[in-house]
Amino acid sequence: MNDYVAYKSLVEGDEFLDLPPVFEVTQEKVDKYIHATGDKTVQLMEQDEAGRQLAPPMLAAVYVIEALRTRAGPPGGIHAKQNFKFYRPAIVGETLYTTAKILRLYIKRERPYVEMLTETKNQAGELVTTGMITRIWGKGE
Amino acid sequence: MTNQTLQQYGTLSVGDELPELRQRVDQNMIDAYADASGDVNPLHIDPEFAKTTMFGQTIAHGLLTLAFVSRVLSKWNWQGWAYGGELNIIFLGPVYPGDEVRVSGYVDLIEERDNDIYARCQLICHCGDREVVKGEATCKILIEKLQIK
Repeated sequence: MNDYVAYKSLVEGDEFLDLPPVFEVTQEKVDKYIHATGDKTVQLMEQDEAGRQLAPPMLAAVYVIEALRTRAGPPGGIHAKQNFKFYRPAIVGETLYTTAKILRLYIKRERPYVEMLTETKNQAGELVTTGMITRIWGKGE
Repeated sequence: MTNQTLQQYGTLSVGDELPELRQRVDQNMIDAYADASGDVNPLHIDPEFAKTTMFGQTIAHGLLTLAFVSRVLSKWNWQGWAYGGELNIIFLGPVYPGDEVRVSGYVDLIEERDNDIYARCQLICHCGDREVVKGEATCKILIEKLQIK
């Protein structure tokens, strides 16, 4: 897939509402993430008091980045800064919707930076995570 | 509304260290994270492409390193971290296959606001002598659920 977004086509204030990305929180996705990150947090190994299976807070990295894929830069871009606020862990079985907005574009040391705000809610509109990601955009058109 | 800073709250004190984590990262782990996250940027998984970049070899996803940070905070204070925790970090350098990431941190502020107690922690991730991630996390304190180092 080569439909990368060029830095010069990005606009401050642009909101990614055209196709709100959907992320189904499945046990398989959570298990894969836990395995890949070596997470052995006790609270993730069993259901909580309400009988729910919780996901690691940092699963946000997966559903947020997936949501930003519609605005992915060319290969070689790197992550410079990250902010997350976790209102609660994602729960297996729920569906998450992440919206995003370009907050700021700037050049620093000849590198193009992009700051994006994200907000993730579930199917009932409950706020799960907000964040701000700063990326150095990859080279290329 | 005023915030009040504290030197101590229950058994928690400013300066307390978080449980340290050491995690070896190899290409298999990076590939597994790429698969789990769907982030298949060739910088992480394609050695030939990575040779053409400023890094000269593949590097781990920055967010994989953040997963290690989250493991530390989850172990230390799951309730406060997972329900209302906030993280602000800067990526300072790459993690290469073969590196051991060491995550450490300490409480640098205890604050009472809105009738709750919050702790701010300074966090740093090293690979050997190199700092690769630095930042801070803030989470609510439920003293009976803290795991002290």
